[in-house]
Amino acid sequence: MARIDRPVSRRQAWWLLAGAVATCLPLAPQFPLWLALAAAAALSWRAALTWRQWHLPPRWLLVMLVIAGTAGVFLQYRTTLGRTPGVALLVIFLALKLLELRTARDAVATALLCYFLILGQFLFTQTIPTALLACLTLLITTAALLAASDDRPEPQQQLRRAGLMLAQALPFMLLLFVLFPRVQGPLWGIPQDRFSAVSGLSDTMSPGSIAQLSQSDAIAFRVKFKGETPPQSQLYWRGPVMPSFDGRNWRVTQTLGAYAEVPYTGLGAPVDYEVTLEPHGKFWLFALELPATLPAESALTSDYQPVARQAVRNRLRYTQRAWPEAIAGINEARNLLGAAVELPKDGNPRIRAISAAWRAQHGDDSAAILAAAENFFSRQLLIYTLNPPLLGADMVDEFLFDTRRGFCEHFAAAFVFALRAAGVPARVVAGYQGGEVNPVDGYLVVRQYDAHAWAEAWIAGRGWVRVDPTAISAPSRISGNLADAVPAGEALPFLARGDLAWLRELRYRLDAVSNGWNQWVLGYNPQRQRDLLASLGLNEPDWRNMTAILSVLCGAVMLGLTAWILRNRLRVDPALAAWRRFTARLARRGIAWQPWEGPQAFAERAARQAPMHAAAIGEIAALYARVRYGPAPQAGELIRLKARISAFRP
Amino acid sequence: MRLPELDAILADINRIILGKERPVRLSLACLLARGHLLIEDLPGVGKTTLAHVLARVLGLDFQRIQFTSDMLPADVLGVSIFDRDSGAFHFHPGPIFTQVVLADEINRATPKAQSALLEAMEERQVTTEGKTRALPEPFFVIATQNPTHQIGTFPLPESQLDRFLLKVELGYPDAAAERELLAGADRRQMVAALVPRIAPQQLLELQERVRAVHASPALIDYVQILAAHTRTAPHWQAGLSPRACLGLLAVARAWALLDGRDHVLPEDVQAVLPGIIGHRLRPMDDTARTDPHGVAAALIEAVPLP
Amino acid sequence: MPASLRHRLHEAFVRWALRVRPPEATPIVLTQRRVYVLPTRAGLAYATALGVILLGAMNYNLSLGHALVFLLAGLGIVAILHTFRNLVLVSIRPGRCEPVFTGGLAQFDLVLQNQRPDARTSLRLFIGEGVPLEIDIGPHASSVATLDLPALRRGWLPMPRLTIETTWPLGLIRAWSCAVPDLKCLVYPAPATRAPPLPWGGDSAQGSTRDGRGADDFSGLRNHQVTDAPHHVAWKAVARQQDGPLLTKLFFGAAAEQIWLDWDALADVTDAEQRLSILARWMIDADAAGLAWGLRMPSLRLAPDNGAAQLCTGLRALALHEHGAH
Repeated sequence: MARIDRPVSRRQAWWLLAGAVATCLPLAPQFPLWLALAAAAALSWRAALTWRQWHLPPRWLLVMLVIAGTAGVFLQYRTTLGRTPGVALLVIFLALKLLELRTARDAVATALLCYFLILGQFLFTQTIPTALLACLTLLITTAALLAASDDRPEPQQQLRRAGLMLAQALPFMLLLFVLFPRVQGPLWGIPQDRFSAVSGLSDTMSPGSIAQLSQSDAIAFRVKFKGETPPQSQLYWRGPVMPSFDGRNWRVTQTLGAYAEVPYTGLGAPVDYEVTLEPHGKFWLFALELPATLPAESALTSDYQPVARQAVRNRLRYTQRAWPEAIAGINEARNLLGAAVELPKDGNPRIRAISAAWRAQHGDDSAAILAAAENFFSRQLLIYTLNPPLLGADMVDEFLFDTRRGFCEHFAAAFVFALRAAGVPARVVAGYQGGEVNPVDGYLVVRQYDAHAWAEAWIAGRGWVRVDPTAISAPSRISGNLADAVPAGEALPFLARGDLAWLRELRYRLDAVSNGWNQWVLGYNPQRQRDLLASLGLNEPDWRNMTAILSVLCGAVMLGLTAWILRNRLRVDPALAAWRRFTARLARRGIAWQPWEGPQAFAERAARQAPMHAAAIGEIAALYARVRYGPAPQAGELIRLKARISAFRP
Repeated sequence: MRLPELDAILADINRIILGKERPVRLSLACLLARGHLLIEDLPGVGKTTLAHVLARVLGLDFQRIQFTSDMLPADVLGVSIFDRDSGAFHFHPGPIFTQVVLADEINRATPKAQSALLEAMEERQVTTEGKTRALPEPFFVIATQNPTHQIGTFPLPESQLDRFLLKVELGYPDAAAERELLAGADRRQMVAALVPRIAPQQLLELQERVRAVHASPALIDYVQILAAHTRTAPHWQAGLSPRACLGLLAVARAWALLDGRDHVLPEDVQAVLPGIIGHRLRPMDDTARTDPHGVAAALIEAVPLP
Repeated sequence: MPASLRHRLHEAFVRWALRVRPPEATPIVLTQRRVYVLPTRAGLAYATALGVILLGAMNYNLSLGHALVFLLAGLGIVAILHTFRNLVLVSIRPGRCEPVFTGGLAQFDLVLQNQRPDARTSLRLFIGEGVPLEIDIGPHASSVATLDLPALRRGWLPMPRLTIETTWPLGLIRAWSCAVPDLKCLVYPAPATRAPPLPWGGDSAQGSTRDGRGADDFSGLRNHQVTDAPHHVAWKAVARQQDGPLLTKLFFGAAAEQIWLDWDALADVTDAEQRLSILARWMIDADAAGLAWGLRMPSLRLAPDNGAAQLCTGLRALALHEHGAH
């Protein structure tokens, strides 16, 4: 182990500096300016030290700097735990470790820190570009580790060797990635800062809250249908149901985990599909109305909303079945129905008056009231727009009678209000509507701008019935997409615009790649692993036989790699190879060729020992001698030699 | 395609030197490779006769120098003698100015005399009193030395020995050969009756042909690793010099030509190896003076063909 | 684990691993069976780091974190193979080993041969606890490694067990092997720094002149006699002194001086080693003076001679005096 104390050479220092820069640079945007500058200063200092061959700073100074850095991080984040402060500390340690590169031991420690910080990058983002960048960092760091052992090769050679070794490590990575028994995290509590800013539906709805989402083209979830993709008008992705209204906001009041199985029956053909849900930090899972099954680790609320046991903080994938036609809630609980007609005491007198008229006219016939309401909405000539005017205290009245311009939440809220005022139980359902099929990979992509709100009314004998008041006024929003529904000229998210065909095409492709990445790389979790193994005929594998399979396969790869690595790339002279075949044949007859023996000498000896083959042996030896040692041997001679040897049967 | 003239030369020599085909062949190979020959053996086994016969059949002039301890370089090279009549110095060429020189008992002479001969051998010219005189072409030195350590001898240092391309040992003839020798005609008369088989010009051509014998890369590799082995193995005090390697290849070429081949085989190298290493490799273990053939065999068997 | 116990375990393992009774037949080929692979301290740190990265990746459900740790694990495995490959099938032949004097450094040459078409990098060789020697071997080439060992006692000094190891390329894995090449160094007794003068004369003297130099030295001139060889005529001297007689040059024709170095002549030196030292000093001095010298030992008698070979033989006799093993 004498080597570990070897001083770090200049070249090694450069390599480690390169590794550290490659590691820290992608992380820089995550840090406050002072930290980024401090790290840059430390790295520059190191560069100057190496360049000028100055002495390393004294240890007490480094200790002070470490303390200062830690204090800085603590002051910035009020903690040293958690993702960002943790990574920040590691960056500080790495930068300062570079300033005390004394022996090979420090060099190895630095390289290991670099490896560790690559993981730090993944805490923030795991996109394809990040992965590519991480590959580059890995390459440079590995080259630095190589240089720590042997700094003589040129940089290109060092990089080539690092690349070769990483390439050889790839099969192991693939095997381990697929087969290593996966554990669903977290293993311990995760500080909450990881999910601070994710866009998506919230558990309250007020005018403008969904319209805000319509400006975002972030992906909410992706869907892969098992069979045909249902028509656009059926794609209602049920989200948070909001039965409670305080005059301005609609709220979720669901009873979590009310049902372990669906309490209704389906009619018609079920639809099977698989959802890949982007993390949104909430509990609910989106499902096509109405969900017929429940994903694992989830339950159904009292208003038929599947919710997960844990907030969706990681990309989540679940398979689902939906009954597009289902009869739900025929025998709905009385308290629920009671809550579904509650309204604030006053406000919105005009719509209350109209509802009262419906009530008077149709009495308890809630179906008739519903029809009347739909009729009323279509006659009001409401306009669907992304830029509705601001509303005052009597929001519903102002929308229906004055401004007449609104987004889906206006429509849904007004409709539910009208029904409730007429005594019909109704509630607002938020979620997403529609989506876009990516022709490249066939996935239906639902984006934030597909967010929608609609109404659900309870009709005696039919249960809860979906009514989409937006569809009454702007049917193209439901049958087409957002761009078709809003008046021309309104600002739409870039990706929602339909006028740039090539851009759309490009987007489809990028999205398909990104989806494949999400599905197969980032979304490779215990569930997907089980599914994959099941599809390979390995049902319910436990960690023991998975480990066994893994070891066998890794062993096989290792053997293959060993064979490849140890292969004798000795290019044997063809004449010599033929000669060896010949001598091997004679060796089986007990006439062993000595490795130092010349062809003629051997032929004479062999001919004495096997006189009946003397002529053949003599001819072969003479041919071989001429081909191998003679001047300008002709190609024909080599062929003749090979033929003679092939025909030689002692 | 054996060369008839070479076969005839060998036959002639073997008619006189009986039962010594291998040393005879080696000696001829040495001359064909333009090298000088060292014969180490006891007196009376035919060293002088061999040198004489070689000179005769090759049609070359022959001189013998008996080396003694009081010999001076001038005794070998020649002296300028003052001619009183003309009042000028005249160079009287020494016995070295001939095509074949037999330097008998070379280790009896003092190092000064030895080096005079050896330098002339190497440079194929003689420089005395500031004047350089070329030696005849072809030019061979056949030196003999006594094998036993005797008082008053000056064993040639390794550096000088290296200038001899080959060292052969004649040894006592076997019984049959000795009987034939005793019963046969007088050797002296037989030598005198010999007629040259080739002209000196032909000999030069033969030497050219030797140089043209093909040594393939595989064979050169073999020579190289043989040499490398001698340099690194623990058995010898110093390995073969590059000059020795060149010599080895040259003699192997000559040996191949004597065998009628236009290319060298490993067998050729192995055949001439004892003559090459016998006077060059000094065993580490001085007490065990093994014969060159045993040493060569051990070397050959330690080095596989590439 | 205490260092001594670890050392003992290591020794036991090496004894088991070497199985073949040393010294071994040459060439020693480091086959797969005798190359062992262990992680270095850096390798253990690497494994620990991988474990921590894996925990982090699991906790945060980072798929790329898993990929990273698995790639690095693969790199570790590949490092094992590369390190193993770097050492395996190297063949070791004993090389030269010149005799040394006691107190000097015995230098064992080993020829390491690489049959493969790519280089072997950073192989470290050491004997005992010695300083490792680091060498590379080019493709299809061989390198000579010279290992030093202090020669403390005269006689044969066998080469101790050789350890050859490498941690190339990543320094995470150490592949090592042991070998006992058949190589021994002859250690001559150290020449005494203070020795009696060379034993001229006495019972051992045979020569008479003290200068004992070569026989070709010019000693003088005398008048020419008919029997003198013409080439001994001193022509230049003749030319100088016009009409004078012909002169003949004279030379020392005597053989070189001979002396006997006698074990028994040193009877007053009680310590046998001291006597050997003095004899060694005499031999060296006699050789430097160009004398022919003989040696008389209780068990051996060496005829007078001069030259390097005689010196070697004499010193060897001293080195192996009552040494047993030859």
